[in-house]
Formats: sequence, C-alpha cells, structure tokens
Amino acid sequence: MSDDSLNELGDHIAWSPVRADVITAEVCGGALMLTVQAAAIARVLTLLRDDPRCLFEMLVDLTAVDRPARNRRFAVVYHLLSVRVGQRVRVVLEVDEETPVPTVTGVFSSAGWYEREVWDMFGIVFADHPDLRRLLTEPGFDGHPLRRDFPLSGFVEVRYDGESRAVVHEPITLAQQLRTFEVDSPWAGPAGGGG
Amino acid sequence: MTEPLAWTEAGAIAPGGRQSRPTVINLAPGLGAAHGGLRLVLELDGDAVERADPHIGFAHRGTEKLVEQKTWLQALAYFDRLDQAAPISQAHAFVLAVERLAGIVPPPRGQALRVLFAELGRIANHLLAVTGAARDLGAITPCAWAHAARETLMGFCERVSGARLATGYLRPGGVMRDLPPGLAEQILADLGRLAAVIDDIDALVTENRVFKQRTVDVAVVTAGQALDWGLTGPVLRASGVAWDLRKAQPYDAYGGIAFDVPVGQTGDCYARTLVRIEEMRQSLRIVRQCLDTLPDGPVAVDDRTVTPPPRDELDGSIEAMIDHVRHYTAGLHVPAGETYVAVEAPKGEFGVYLVADGTGRPYRCRIRSPGFAHLQALNMMVAGHLVADTVAAVGSLDLSVAEIDR
Repeated sequence: MSDDSLNELGDHIAWSPVRADVITAEVCGGALMLTVQAAAIARVLTLLRDDPRCLFEMLVDLTAVDRPARNRRFAVVYHLLSVRVGQRVRVVLEVDEETPVPTVTGVFSSAGWYEREVWDMFGIVFADHPDLRRLLTEPGFDGHPLRRDFPLSGFVEVRYDGESRAVVHEPITLAQQLRTFEVDSPWAGPAGGGG
Repeated sequence: MTEPLAWTEAGAIAPGGRQSRPTVINLAPGLGAAHGGLRLVLELDGDAVERADPHIGFAHRGTEKLVEQKTWLQALAYFDRLDQAAPISQAHAFVLAVERLAGIVPPPRGQALRVLFAELGRIANHLLAVTGAARDLGAITPCAWAHAARETLMGFCERVSGARLATGYLRPGGVMRDLPPGLAEQILADLGRLAAVIDDIDALVTENRVFKQRTVDVAVVTAGQALDWGLTGPVLRASGVAWDLRKAQPYDAYGGIAFDVPVGQTGDCYARTLVRIEEMRQSLRIVRQCLDTLPDGPVAVDDRTVTPPPRDELDGSIEAMIDHVRHYTAGLHVPAGETYVAVEAPKGEFGVYLVADGTGRPYRCRIRSPGFAHLQALNMMVAGHLVADTVAAVGSLDLSVAEIDR
C-alpha cells in the first residue's frame, strides 16, 4: 500500500468525528500508526470498523510493549486489517500500571482472549471485560512475565516431591547465574548507538 | 400423586423441565483428537454443548520473553519450533520483519527458494490437517498415506538444510545455502507422485459418506463472524472471503507467480477441508513455477554485515574469519523502529510485531499465531452442537498447540 493512500487515510481520520481522540496520525515504515487517548479506544475502533473509508473489520492482533522508564510505561498496540480495502492500521495507546483500559470486546469479539493474554503477561487491566481470567500461566501464578522487570528465570520452580508425594513450589535456585553478554553489533553506525 | 422427578446422568430435571445443572466434562489434554496439550472444558446439556471453554498454556514456553534475550540470529531458532507441521512459514515472517526494519532486500533466487520451501511446507501441513481431521472422525488410512508423503517433503528439507523439521533455512538476507546438485530435478520428479497422493486422499476423504455426515453443516461460520473473530487462512476462505496474503499483500517472489485462491461457500467443517485440498494442488503449481523459472545468481545478499562469509574464505582470510565470528556472536545490526509483518502461513495469518531499539537484541517480539484466534472462536462455533461435533470442529481448525501457547 502506497504512502500516499495511507497519508490520505490518516488525514481522513484526523478530520473524522474522533479527531479529538487521535493524538497523532503518522505514516512510518509503510504503515499508518494512530496514537489515541486511552479512554476513547472503543470509540476510535468503532469508527475505524464502520467508517466507509476505513472498513477495518478485523482486529488481527492486540498486544502491549513495556517501557518502564516512561511515565506511562505500557503501550497497548492494536493491529487492524481491512479485507475489503487491503489496508492495515496500527492503533497505539499509552497507560500506566494503575489505569484500566476500556475493553474493546464490544467492538471486536476477537479482543476477548487478546486482552486476557495482555492482562496475564503485562498486568494491564481491561475495564468491563466479561471474563478477565489469566490465559497462558497456571491459576495462582504470581506476577506478569512479559514485564521488563520480571526476570527470565521467574521466581519459583515447580517439582514433584517424592517424599511428600505432592507437587511443591519453591524459590528458584540457579546453579549458575544467568549471564547477559554484550551483543551490540559491531556494524551499528554512530546513529545506531552500538559499539 | 406427584409426578416423579426425571433423572438423567447429569442430574435431576426440575418439574419445570429445566435441568438443574449442566454436566461439565474435560475433553482432556490426553485425548488424541485434542491435538496436543489442549484442555477443553465442555458444559453439556445432555449431549449438547452449552459452552466450550478452551484452557490453553500447557505448552507455554515463554517464547516472546526468551526472544528478548537473544540476538537477532539466535531468535530465529525459536520460530522453527512454533509449529511442528509447517516451520518454514513461521521463520519466514520473522525474517521478513527483520529485513523490513533493516532495509534488506534478498536477491531473486533467494526469494524464489523461500517461496519454494514455504509451499512445500504448506503441502506438508495440509496433508496433516486434512487427514488429521479425518482421523479424528475415525478414518485411519488417509493419515498413514499423508505421513508417507510428508516424509518425502521432509527429505527435501533435510537435503537442503541438514535438518528435517527445524531447518533454519531462511535467514535475514536470503537463505542459508543454495540447492544441492540434483535436488531441483528430484523435487520436479516427485511432484507427480505427490499430486497422485493428494488425489487419493481427496477421493478417500471428501466423498466418504461418514466424513460428510460428520462435517457438512457442522460448526458453520459466516463471513461476518469470521472477520469479527479474527479468523484467517483456510478457515476464513471457507466462509467465502477471498483473502490470501500471498495475493493481497505479496511478499518475496509471490507477486510474479500465478496461482488461484480457492474459496468455500458454506463455511462449515467440510468446506475447510475442501479449501485445504485445493490449496495443496495450487501449492504444487507454485512449486513447479518456482523450479521452472528459478533465477540465477546469489541466494543471499553479498553483504558481510548481514550474511556470513562463504566457508571456503575462512581458511585464507583473517578478515573473513573476523566477520564470521562477529556474525555468529553479535550478529546483524537492526536500527530502532517497529513493524508488523504477516505471512500467509498454512494455518492462517502468522504475524510478527517487532520493536527494535537499536541494540543487538529485539526489544519486543510479539508472535501473532492464527490458531490462537481460531481456538478462541471455538465456543461460538460449537455452542448448541453435540460433543462429537466439537471433535469435528477442532479437527477442522487445524490447531497447533505449540504455536497457540508460544
């Protein structure tokens, strides 16, 4: 899809009824990216789905990115696809740990499990979600593994204890500390920041 | 005299005719038809499913977390291990995403070889998908034939990369190495035999009376439902939506290849099987075109910052040795940015959302697997159906639990 038509679409959305909710609309790397107000996400996605110029009728993916250094550390990322027009759009909103994000399960049914997974992995709460259980981790799991401050090894190890004949959870002990090697590419230019 | 309570196995039926509580059963992880570590909790009213609640995560390995700790080249290895039936397509999405961020365009021969092996992988996947669905419904023979044919396809992978399943053949910048002498001729020679196997399986499955009774009009999905639930690939096309990323948003060499996109009309389990069988025939067409029009030239970009030096240079050149070591330790440089790249994997749209921060590792790597959305929609498909229909529906979705759980 050419940048021109994406720019046109971005302009169209910037003048649509949700213009107050859209913070930025930019084309980067051949994709249209909208940054929106968290509270307005359902309204924006409804417009993107129903507007005759957009027709993004499929929520392909919903995920999050954790950047702990930022004030609002999480970016929740929605990828929409229009099968009729053959276009994609990425919608991003930023939230902190405490603020719940309105659910979009009322707009796209596929959001149900995606939001459950983001809650499980990042601990972002989706307000009014009909069934916000953990999805991939086991019941009773503590923490949110895809947060950057969650260690790769986790906190507990689970094993079957032959003496007590039960599965036991214990604090993890590593025979050797995990090592992180310096892997910045030697080919990174000055702009890349590598060594 | 009051009427005695009617009892069912599920419990008492109250005088109003309403059953007091639904029966809850586990279509447990151990069941063969559950396709791996998938637990389906079914709430039943008699033999009818009121609600299907899939519990996933038994095969959750934390792939997305692990990839954040790896270099760009090491991360590639995880993608071969996401879907045991079609590993090439998963690696394809990751490699394309890295290339888009780094601005790399592989040479034509490399692109054609990627398409070639992606399509061989599609045939291997659909052989298992079609006959696996039939096996769940009691037909054993097609499954055995499919595994024999798949063996041929895995042999091709082994000859080109050294590995049958986790090939690591696709690399940023192209492919690992060129076809060994004689392999192109061997693949061309075997295409006729593969076509015959597909015809045999078609004859055994699609006109089988039992198979049709179990799949026609079962778990129907309309086009609107398919879009709403994020269904892709053969499941979407069986519902009448002509959407194939190879046609709609072509990547690598697909833009220059002629093939048809089969589309179903009824959106039931039977239509999904028919779509997959026709897709195998189209894949054979693509494979033949790739080999007939295979361009000459290198199979990967000739750039030491992206690909390693050829093996025979290492013995005579210290610079080549340095580049070799750098390539396999630190690896290629990917500038900061983010991208979402999707490929038409055999099971549906497989997407990779990469966030790079300019260091040697991916900052975030999101894996969008098609089966995740398909399994989520299972409740919508089977509510009101019988338990036996649930098995048919699960089979028709072509699930890979390893890919769903990541």
